[in-house]
Amino acid sequence: MTAYLVAVGIVALIYMLLTLGLNLQYGYTGLINFGHVAFFAIGAYASALLTLSGWPMAPAFAVGTLLAGLAAWPIGLLSLRLSDDYLAVVTLGFSEAVRITIQEERWLTKGVQGLPGIPRMFQSLGIGEYAEIATLALLVVVNAAAVALVVHLVRSPYGRLIQAIRDDEVAVEALGKHPARLKVQVFMVGAALAGLAGGFYAHFITYLSPDQFLPLVTFYVWIAMIIGGPGRTAGAVAGATILMVFLEGSRFTRELVPGVSEVQLASVRIAMIGLALILMTLYRPQGIFGERKE
Amino acid sequence: MPSNRTRREFLATGAGLAAASMLPTLVFAQAGATFRIGSLCPISGGGSSYGSGMQKAIEIAIADVNAAGGAGGRKLELFSEDSQTKPDAAVLAAKKLIEVNKVQAVIGTWASGVTLAVMPLTDAANLIEMNCSGAPAISTEDKKDLVWRFQATNDRFGAAFAVIAEKRGYKRPATMAFNNASGIGNTEGFKKAWEKKGGQIVASVVYEPSRPSYRSELQQILAAKPDVIVTGSYLPDTTIILREWYQSGQDVKWIIPGWAANPDLVKALGNEVCEGIISVDSVSNENAPSYKSLDAQYLKATGKSLSSNVYAAMTYDMVICIALAMEAAGANATVAQVNAKIRDVANPPGDKVSSFAEGKKLIAEKKKVNFEGASSRLDFDQYGDVTPDFGVYVIEKGQLVRRDVVSI
Repeated sequence: MTAYLVAVGIVALIYMLLTLGLNLQYGYTGLINFGHVAFFAIGAYASALLTLSGWPMAPAFAVGTLLAGLAAWPIGLLSLRLSDDYLAVVTLGFSEAVRITIQEERWLTKGVQGLPGIPRMFQSLGIGEYAEIATLALLVVVNAAAVALVVHLVRSPYGRLIQAIRDDEVAVEALGKHPARLKVQVFMVGAALAGLAGGFYAHFITYLSPDQFLPLVTFYVWIAMIIGGPGRTAGAVAGATILMVFLEGSRFTRELVPGVSEVQLASVRIAMIGLALILMTLYRPQGIFGERKE
Repeated sequence: MPSNRTRREFLATGAGLAAASMLPTLVFAQAGATFRIGSLCPISGGGSSYGSGMQKAIEIAIADVNAAGGAGGRKLELFSEDSQTKPDAAVLAAKKLIEVNKVQAVIGTWASGVTLAVMPLTDAANLIEMNCSGAPAISTEDKKDLVWRFQATNDRFGAAFAVIAEKRGYKRPATMAFNNASGIGNTEGFKKAWEKKGGQIVASVVYEPSRPSYRSELQQILAAKPDVIVTGSYLPDTTIILREWYQSGQDVKWIIPGWAANPDLVKALGNEVCEGIISVDSVSNENAPSYKSLDAQYLKATGKSLSSNVYAAMTYDMVICIALAMEAAGANATVAQVNAKIRDVANPPGDKVSSFAEGKKLIAEKKKVNFEGASSRLDFDQYGDVTPDFGVYVIEKGQLVRRDVVSI
């Protein structure tokens, strides 16, 4: 049981990192990013390819994170000219473009065959099952650092500025500030967090293929953020946890409720998440930790 | 304070859910000496059209074994999870099966990506893994000989295509592949085998899934004037491609894998379009008693014929193989001892058996058995892969008529 809970914890923390990044972009700055999975994929593939070619894991992670951040730069520039739904469409398109590039550049990524045998974290230490606990611990530290970073950012004058951009961009400009640079920066930081999450993902699942990076992942992250409450760091943490409780907890409902087959449960699981989301938007549209109006 | 109350409620719900998720462990910790099998079929996602049938076949097999009094003195117990045809979901599901349910074998993984992601976990726990995946990498990643593959590798399918094309005297083959590991595996396997024979491929194209039309891809192929087109494709795309080819009126033959060129294809396109298409499939043991008895039970359970789901026959065979190996390994054998017997009970030499009960009787008489499965003869090579014979079927007046059997 412990190892299973550790595994669930690892996946939940990976989603938490993703949610923290998206929350910075959408929750605080109001940038609608429907292509979050693209930066996740870039981080995962970069880290996996580098370690498979013999790099140590730490620099591979760093490069993956950096690349994801850099890939967000041009998209950040686009966000200056596109607002709201237009940006959503462009980012969604970008994430599909990244996925199809991974699929087609077979010389690099082995295309749809995927990359098997990606080294596990801490495996080389020879500490057996403790390797996963170490991964979990590292993820907790990384998430805590990310939370600290985000909290520090949003409490600083910088944070007040990005929240002002979200609420009224014209007013910010009228005050003589330049929203453009800030928006690009926020985009890059959020993407870098997703890239870092990608590195953890690659070395935990140990197998990557393009069909793991469908837009569905983006929307899981959106669900986590919406449940928790956009614009609240605690919301990102809670949302990712609740998403995992729903996804994994439903496995155990079958054993509690007799007469439900695996086939039926598969559908029930998706329906439960949908229902939770609908109830959430009906009764608590601001999310668990959100405030109705700031 | 409204916000406080919600937070408290939320915490209570969370604690409740956490407690609920702990409950089953207590129940399972007390279960007796059964052999625990975890199934990880693609109930939802890309493999969902096969998953529920595979699951049913596993349930049928487990019932068969338990009705015959269990294997090696133990009954089989089944724990099921949905792989969602997604590697990350499958990893968590496999972890749950291994850690919470303490299964001794994980069977029924379908997509190659899922198998490749689950294998490292079962390997680390020294458990048996059985799959229906095609990717060649599975053979080389299986370091401990614990992984058993019940489906012919895509490479072997491709090689069989090459033998068939040569036998029928084709000189200018072209290939069309669905863009996934399996589709490309087929045509790459064909290319490798064909070029080894000194042949050349006149054109090849890889196409994307879920398109309404494949006209431009088809034009590209037909422009090279091939005499035969070899595909690595699935039913929906094959239907579109063949319809568009027929409209073009160009004369060319087709070699198509059996999971795409099947009675459903004929139903969708009509006899005229399908006339002369060559369908290649690993020879299911349709005449074996194991196939017939499973077919009858499967029809009763699902309302469909077993021929509609080749993977169901494979998952059935997985359970029977494990059970026979348990029987051969003796009472209270470890997973490693059971695993070591799988080749013994499935490969020749030995008396051919087609059901668990039959095998159990012979093993009790200290005889060596050779299980002939519903899916194939089930003879495993050094990688734990099956090498079935391939049946060559030609569609004539809407019927798939077997013309030849090739071995590679």
